[in-house]
Amino acid sequence: MDLVAGLLLIALMALAARIVQLHVGPNDSLRRRIDQTRRYEDRLPEPRGRILDRHGNILAIDLAMRNVIADPSEVLASGNPRFIGLQLARVLQLDPAMVMARLNRPNRRFEYIQQRVPDETADLIRRMQLRGVSFDEVSARHYPQGPLACHVIGFANLENVGSAGIEQRFHTYLRGQPGLRVSEKDGRRREIFDRRVLDIPPQRGADIYLTIDQNLQYMVEKALESAIAEHQAKGAWAVVQRVRTGEILAMASLPGFDLNEYRSADDLQKLNRAIGYVYEPGSTFKVATIAAALNEHRVTPDQVFDCENGCWFFKGRPLRDYHPNGLLSVADVLKKSSNIGAAKITLTMEEKTVERYLRAFGYGAPTGVELPGEEGGILADRSQWTSLSLSRIAMGHEVGVTALQMLNMLCAVANDGMRVRPTIIRRLVDAEGHTLMESKPEFVAQPIRSETSALMRKLLARVTEEGGTGTRAAVEGYTVAGKTGTAEKAINGSYSSRANVSSFMGFLPAEDPDRIAIMVVVDEPQGAFRTGGVVAGPVFREIARQAVRYLDIPPDVPVEAGVENKPEPWRSL
Amino acid sequence: MYRTMVILIGIVLILVTVGIVMLASTSSVQGGTQYHDPLFFVKRQAVGLVVGAFIALFAARLDYHYWRPLAIPLALASLVLLVLVLIPGVGQTVKGSSRWLRMGPATFQPSELAKFSSVILISWWMSRFQLHARELRMGLVYPLALLGLFLGLVFIEPDFGTTMLLAMVGMLLLFLGGSRVGYLAVAGVGGATLFSLAILHDPVRLRRITAFLDPEQYARKEAFQLLNAIYAFVVGGGRGVGFGQSLQKHFYLPEAHTDFIFAIIGEELGMKGSLGVLALFLGLFLCGLYISYRAPDRFGQLLGCGCTLMLSLQALINMGVVTGSLPTKGLPLPFISFGGSSLVASMALVGVLLNLARQAISEEDERDARCIRDAARRI
Repeated sequence: MDLVAGLLLIALMALAARIVQLHVGPNDSLRRRIDQTRRYEDRLPEPRGRILDRHGNILAIDLAMRNVIADPSEVLASGNPRFIGLQLARVLQLDPAMVMARLNRPNRRFEYIQQRVPDETADLIRRMQLRGVSFDEVSARHYPQGPLACHVIGFANLENVGSAGIEQRFHTYLRGQPGLRVSEKDGRRREIFDRRVLDIPPQRGADIYLTIDQNLQYMVEKALESAIAEHQAKGAWAVVQRVRTGEILAMASLPGFDLNEYRSADDLQKLNRAIGYVYEPGSTFKVATIAAALNEHRVTPDQVFDCENGCWFFKGRPLRDYHPNGLLSVADVLKKSSNIGAAKITLTMEEKTVERYLRAFGYGAPTGVELPGEEGGILADRSQWTSLSLSRIAMGHEVGVTALQMLNMLCAVANDGMRVRPTIIRRLVDAEGHTLMESKPEFVAQPIRSETSALMRKLLARVTEEGGTGTRAAVEGYTVAGKTGTAEKAINGSYSSRANVSSFMGFLPAEDPDRIAIMVVVDEPQGAFRTGGVVAGPVFREIARQAVRYLDIPPDVPVEAGVENKPEPWRSL
Repeated sequence: MYRTMVILIGIVLILVTVGIVMLASTSSVQGGTQYHDPLFFVKRQAVGLVVGAFIALFAARLDYHYWRPLAIPLALASLVLLVLVLIPGVGQTVKGSSRWLRMGPATFQPSELAKFSSVILISWWMSRFQLHARELRMGLVYPLALLGLFLGLVFIEPDFGTTMLLAMVGMLLLFLGGSRVGYLAVAGVGGATLFSLAILHDPVRLRRITAFLDPEQYARKEAFQLLNAIYAFVVGGGRGVGFGQSLQKHFYLPEAHTDFIFAIIGEELGMKGSLGVLALFLGLFLCGLYISYRAPDRFGQLLGCGCTLMLSLQALINMGVVTGSLPTKGLPLPFISFGGSSLVASMALVGVLLNLARQAISEEDERDARCIRDAARRI
């Protein structure tokens, strides 16, 4: 008996020693390690700011979503993992075999079943009380308008980092501040609520109001879409801009893509051609060179040039017109878009004068619109010009431009010579409602005097009149001033007569200070007639017709007066 | 003797109080999540406590000699119940072990009854055949065969912890009853071999052993409880994290309210708490030993030793497991762990001890008896 008692006492003493060792032994490093593994730190997702159109319609917004997570070891321990797997597959509409494969990993404790599930679906699963299934809050980007204005808005990737368009350019504003929650976690790796020591709520990013008008944008995209279908074109793009302020009301580029499915879009679809596609403008460029010549008083509108019946040899190289002309006044050179006329007019100036004007009109440098990926176009330094360059530049060859640059030039010509930086941002408002930034018209340069501008408006208005190249761009009731352009694409070093870039740019009403300017480009239209007047003109008219009605711009021409034979308006100057 | 009884009752009352209070703390998380009632386990334990108190009172008032004729019927009843547990549909299987019988709203663990009845059975046998105790058959083979029935049935439930406990207490009782040490050693080695073979054939238990030997390696699953029990003591330190403040009970220790409650005591109350509980069991052991020593007859002495060993060995093994000194076994800590059957059985054992104390030879009697004995020896 004493032996048994003694043995037991010794065992008890050994146990006591063990307990003392565990409690107050040298365990500081282990204690720290334990505390560390028990620490719970949750980064609370921060909603990204919204992107809205000028009237507050939502173009991009963050939705609260949930990730469905399973703890496979827990699910397998529940006794009927099959049931749990099938229920999950049914509600989430997944392949049951795939779900079962994910659950059948006894050594894993964390497995995504599906990411970014709407709240309602998550609640449905939560109500089933499936063991080992939990949820994770995330914030996911959603674009309610799908493909609308896709190139302007851009998209945020899965990590919520803006990767294109406004999303990219204004990422630092849109991005919110993530919240932080520090606490301790239990054996199932969930937070223990009453151990929370820090809880900083997330802060929403700033909202961005664009100058884009959602409805106008829609009209533009529809018009481009039908143009592409009609002409089997490779692409088409257009920009609508308020002339006085430089606000871009619509900017569309087709083909586009659904922003919610941006991952399946290819690089061509993602290209914002309106600012990222550099092409030789062709005749639309004559607006710049003729405006320069008029501003320099080298020519007057009624000065007559010989257009050589369609073919003129300059320095041994031929220059041709699309329609042969004889003698044309400067006004008619513009109206009929004579290459030979334009070349002769431009040749009245020195090279350095022409270059000064072109740079002042903004060629060769990005316009500075708040979008990533804007190209600056090509305008070679004067030292690299050949003796032929001036005659080529006169009609829009040897230069590369973007649609926005062309429109910007046209706006300067229309806007009393004032060039304003185009802008697509209206306002930045933070989560508390404070306005962080408000966009104001930003004067850049004045390439031509206001008298020259007034004269150009009259001359350009004649382009859409009877006998001009842009008759199909005319809008009933409005004076449309504009210019057609048909460029041949340079393919393998020589101009191709098959591949054209047809464009039309114009503004209306010509004399209204609240006028809007529209640029339409159609890339490689097919068919017998591929000129800017035939292909892009009607698109312009379609957009302009709806835009003036939508924007409530009053007509400036009485309808019956439009039929009358008006006197040459520029002669009265 | 009166003082011993008071001390024993005091110890048991403190243990039971600590038990119910700590249960309220540890089981609140599991009760809250599983049954939406943080006091779910406390309420059930309170029922066990009331039943246990009545049984202890009954046992304390019942002359322990009445257990002698009851030894065989009680043993038979336990065996029948142990067989019933194995029948699917009658027995309740939890986590692969069939240990429970459902009786209406209550469940009952026959192995707890087996603890009680095996102590009575062996004590009865070894006092009844006291003169043959040194014989191979009467002193070892027959009582061991009887004990073997219990062990076998408990073993295939399976409940290895209780099997070990029953075997150890049984062997110790045989030793105290006068069996030859040589025989017992052979039987002990044989039994241990059988036991190890059985464990080698059971992957779950084998992994528990390997996990015990190298816990960090198996930290994710097998040794998860073990490591977290040790962490609980380490985190508790000298002063403890404070009552109710345990982190380990938040699903780090799935059995926090049953087998691993001692770890939570160590975490919340610190070294003073865990050493205090250890001291209480030491006191219980010493009281029980003293009472058995003073028992008026052989049967009483063996019975007292059996009861004392049953309680203190169980406590020792449980605390050894929880502190990572022994491989993991499912044994509750007497009086403290959640479990009605265990509580009632422990109370009954204490009741028997109290009755022994009531009938113990007083100091004066002892002195007189010693005079007579010494006189007899001189003659």
